[in-house]
Formats: sequence, structure tokens, C-alpha cells
Amino acid sequence: MSGAQASREARLPDDEAGLLSVRDLDAGYGDLQVLSEVDLDVQDGEYVTIVGPNGAGKSTVMKSVFGLTTYMGGTVTFDDAEIQGSNPEDIIHEGIGYVPQNENVFAGLSVQENLEMGAYILDEVPQDALDAVYERFPILEERKQQTAGSLSGGQQQMLAMGRALMLDPDLLMLDEPSAGLAPDLVEDMFDRIDRINADGTSVLMVEQNAKEALRRCDRGYVLVQGENSYMDDGDELLGDEEVRQEFLGG
Amino acid sequence: MNRTNALDHGVRYVRTSPGATAVVAFSAILLLDLLAKLVGFSLGPLTVAGIDLGPFGGEMPFTRLVSYTWDGLVIGLVIGLASIGLSLTYSILNFANFAHGDYLTAGAFSGWAATYIIAGLGGLLPIVESAVHAVTGVGQRTIRNTDLVSLVLLETPPGTAGANVWLSPIAVVVGLAVAVVLTIAMALVIDRFVYKPIRGADGISLLIASIGVAFGIRYLVALVFGNSRRIVTSTDQLPEVTLIGTRIDAHEVTLVVVAILLMLGMHVLLQRTKLGKAMRAMADNRDLARVTGIPTERVIRTTWMLGAGLTGAAGFLLVLSQAGLGFTTGWRLLLLIFAAVIMGGIGSIYGAIAGGLVIGLASRVSLVWLQGDFSSFTSPAAFALMILILLFRPSGIFGGVSTA
Repeated sequence: MSGAQASREARLPDDEAGLLSVRDLDAGYGDLQVLSEVDLDVQDGEYVTIVGPNGAGKSTVMKSVFGLTTYMGGTVTFDDAEIQGSNPEDIIHEGIGYVPQNENVFAGLSVQENLEMGAYILDEVPQDALDAVYERFPILEERKQQTAGSLSGGQQQMLAMGRALMLDPDLLMLDEPSAGLAPDLVEDMFDRIDRINADGTSVLMVEQNAKEALRRCDRGYVLVQGENSYMDDGDELLGDEEVRQEFLGG
Repeated sequence: MNRTNALDHGVRYVRTSPGATAVVAFSAILLLDLLAKLVGFSLGPLTVAGIDLGPFGGEMPFTRLVSYTWDGLVIGLVIGLASIGLSLTYSILNFANFAHGDYLTAGAFSGWAATYIIAGLGGLLPIVESAVHAVTGVGQRTIRNTDLVSLVLLETPPGTAGANVWLSPIAVVVGLAVAVVLTIAMALVIDRFVYKPIRGADGISLLIASIGVAFGIRYLVALVFGNSRRIVTSTDQLPEVTLIGTRIDAHEVTLVVVAILLMLGMHVLLQRTKLGKAMRAMADNRDLARVTGIPTERVIRTTWMLGAGLTGAAGFLLVLSQAGLGFTTGWRLLLLIFAAVIMGGIGSIYGAIAGGLVIGLASRVSLVWLQGDFSSFTSPAAFALMILILLFRPSGIFGGVSTA
């Protein structure tokens, strides 16, 4: 490891830490620890990507923020409230939306019902949020009576995002949004995420398609074996020789 | 030319799917036999390998077919109603609840005990009047002097108790409500102390736990009510009509109406209400439901309440139409309920209803062919039909159509 990289910090100074701030997070599944001392920040309006090799624990970071793993130590602060160890039900109330990687729609429910479920914690389905989702993804409105299981992969991904946007979250967490999409749809999906971010929602994303993700994002983290190794602007990481060699295939 | 094509096609079909051909041929024989019976055509007694199969055709009035069908419909609706509960708990809690039949028994006993008390004491009004008299001294004691214990334990003869929808309709309605409420209460208590502590366990552990629960309930019922099978309802002065030679009494009509109303209510609940949609969402994908903020524990509680309520109602109605009740009533019915759920496609309540009707109809209409010594083989006939349907549609009638 060269001198320049070794000096690179994996955490932002505390006065720059914004919306989401993860410090020294240890987490895993049952007795198995996957993450150790992970640091991560997402500032208000920022677009942050986590890249890294398979099995590094990228998805686990997201699940841990959302309270879906076994909490083992450290802090997760969101909007000035400590949320480590909370239930997903409570974290949703704080303003985080999460789109899991697989099986992220209710296949047997209609498109409209899926979106209604996204606003389950509210007493009534917010009509303006529903309209906004339909405006963002017009294909969903066309198919609102169809079952989600009958949609194509790309449409299901849109529905999953739409469901998470129903509560107008401050932070949207996306786990591999391009996974399983046909190559010509990947670009379109990233464009849509750009627009969601441009409209003021912070985005935290895990991606296999690291080059594209880093090109798009404001800042990226490289996660290796459950610890984050680097953090830098997306373009800087893309230009980094070692990151290219190790994780981006040269 | 067309005929040769059709013949070729037929030959190819027989070659490629001999099983289906055998089924079609067998069905055709049964159908011909039925037609022969209806027109009164008979072909000597047939004996194969020393077993007397009875005559081909024979004589059977059309009205008997109608009355078998009606009986099948009645029992099918009860099985369907009970199957909804099993299907719901299966799809949302992910395990096969072997105690389900005993929930049905418990519902039947508790509901009928309530009916006996009210009917046996002379109705709801005298009970209220006497209670007011006992407390305040106003009015008078109007209840009959009856042995309350033998009423509660269903030991009073049904005629004396007046357990009849015509003579004491209010007692029957209250009994139905009590069956629903007590079965729900029992299911919630059992969930709290047995299933909730092992919520994360795999389906097999939960299933074995439920077998334990089944024994617990069954013998608790036997301990309280005794182990004899009894006739509970009375058909004294019960109105009945005869349609196409089929006697339809008020108990059966009550069953059909209540069962259909409950099924419609269930449909509306699942399709139209927020809670129902959440139940379907959870049946679909439990992890995603959690991530979406659906309160999963509350949905599980609601599932138990709905499933147990319907099952308790099914138990009460079963006794209303069949009259007999013993501590193994539900347990005996459980196999048929499972068959209905599996045949309909596990997890679908519409499948459960359809499966219940098919099982019910098969177990009664098969009497057309199963006569004499064979008349006790109606349940095997229903199971055989289930196996046949699963051979051709392995995921069940409504399988793959997820409806919760």
C-alpha cells in the first residue's frame, strides 16, 4: 500500500458528518461477526456508494443501518438520533427507506397495493406521494392493477423504489439496484437514481457495477472483509491505481 | 381425413400419457355407470377375482344424486371454512398447524355449551330477568329449574335442552358467537405461550409443537366433557322443505348461509382492507413486510384471530348440520381439511374453499358408486381424487396464484 493511500481516512471529520453517521459499527448475524469498526457518512443531499469484492459485507452495512442484523457495537446516528439496535419499524419512522436486493416487491399484490404497503405506517395513503411516484415511474401507473409478479425485472425495481419513496424518506438505501437488469436498462436505472438524488433525497447505494456507480456518485467507500479501507470522491477512487487493480478489473 | 387425424392424435395421446388415458377411461366408465343407474339399465352382477363388484348400472333415482350433491355441498362448506383458517396460518406463520382440528372441536364444545345453557334455561330474556330479580329483587325468577351442570357438559338430552335453530334461534346465534370468541381466545393464549417463544424456529419444530398442542386440547376436552360421542342437536319441529326429492332442513340452510357470509367477509377483508392487504403482503414475503414497516407481530395475532374464529364457527356449524359431537370430531376432520388445503394450493384461501367443496362433494357423491360393503370408503375416494388432482396440477387448483 503506497503512502498516499495509507494516509487516506475512512471517516469524515465529525463536523462534516451529516444526515447519517456510522462510527465503529460492529455487526453480524447471530454469533457471526461480519462488520468490524465500519465508519460511514452520508451528508444531506449526498449520493454515496459502497463498492468492494463479493462477500465484503456491503449489503450487511445497509442491513445493519436498518436494524436487520445483530448489533454488536458502535453507533449509528441518523438526523441527530442514535438508531443502532432499533427495529426496522422504528427506523422507517425516522425517515430511511430501504430497497433490498432480491424479492423486493410483494409479487402477489397489485402494483397499487405494493405502493400502499409502502405507506403502511401512515393512517392514510398519502395521495400526493402516490401521484409523485406515478409521475416518476409512469409505467407503474399504467400497470397499477396488475400483480407485481407479472412485471419485468426493471419494472419491479422501479416499483421497489417507488414503495420506498412513498414515505418521502430523507435517505434512500438501494442494495444493488442494477442486479439482474438487462444491460440496456442499467443506464436508465442509474439515470433514475440520479434524478431521485437531484430532487433532494440522499442516496446510499451498494453496487456490483462499481465503475458506473463510482462515476455517478458524490463519494464512495471501498469495503474489504467487513472493514472499510478507503473513502474518497467517486472519480478519485475510479482513478486510483490500486482500487482499479483490485476491484474494478484494471 | 379429419377422423384419421383425430384418431392419430388419440393414439399419440394414449402412447405419450397412459396415466391420463387411464384416468379418462375410468372417469368415462363411472359416468356411463351413473347414466345407466339413472335410466335403470343393469348388467348382471360383476365378479372380478372373486370380489363381488355389484352390477354395472342398476337403479338409482335422480333425486338421490341431488341429495348426495346437497350433502356434499353442506359438508364441503364446513371443510372449506375450516380450511381457510389452516391455510391462513400456514401461509403467514409458515407451518402446518396440526392442532387445527382440535381448535374446531374446542369451538364446537364451547359454542354448544353456551347454546345449551341459554336454550335449557328458557332463553336469553328469562336469564336476564332472573338475574335482575336475584340482584335487585325486582320482577321474578323465570328461568326453568334445570341442572346447570348437565347443561354445560352437554349431558341434557338435546330435545329437553331445545338445541334447535327454530325453537331457540337466539341460543344458536349466541352459541355461534361464543364458539368464535372462545376459539380466538384459546388460539391467542396458545400462540403467546407456545408458538411465540419459538417464532423463529423452522416449520418442522413448529409442526411438532402443534401436535403437542393438539393432544393437550383434545384430552382437556375429553376430561371436561367426557369421551363419549353424543347427539347434540334436536330436529324437533325443525322446518324443512323438500326440493327435487331432497330434504333440506333449517339447520343446513343456516350453515350454508353463515358459511357463505363468512367466506365473503373474508374475501372483502383480504382484498379491501389495509390489514387484509398487510396479511397478503406478509404471506408473500415476510422479510419485505418487516422492511416495509408492517407490524408483523400484530398481523400474526390477527391471523390467529381470523383463522381460529372461522374454525370455531366451522366446528359449531358442523355440529348444527351433522348433530354428532365427540372429542375427536375435529381430529377426524383434520385429514380432510389438510386434503382441501393441499388440493386447493397451500396458502390460497380461495383454493382452500374450492378444495373443501371438492373434498366434500367427492366424499358424498362417491356413494353413487360405493354401495353396500364399499359405502365406508367415501373418505378414501376423496383422497384418491386429491391425489389425482395433484398428479395433474402439483401445486394445487389455485397453486401459483398467491392470494393469501
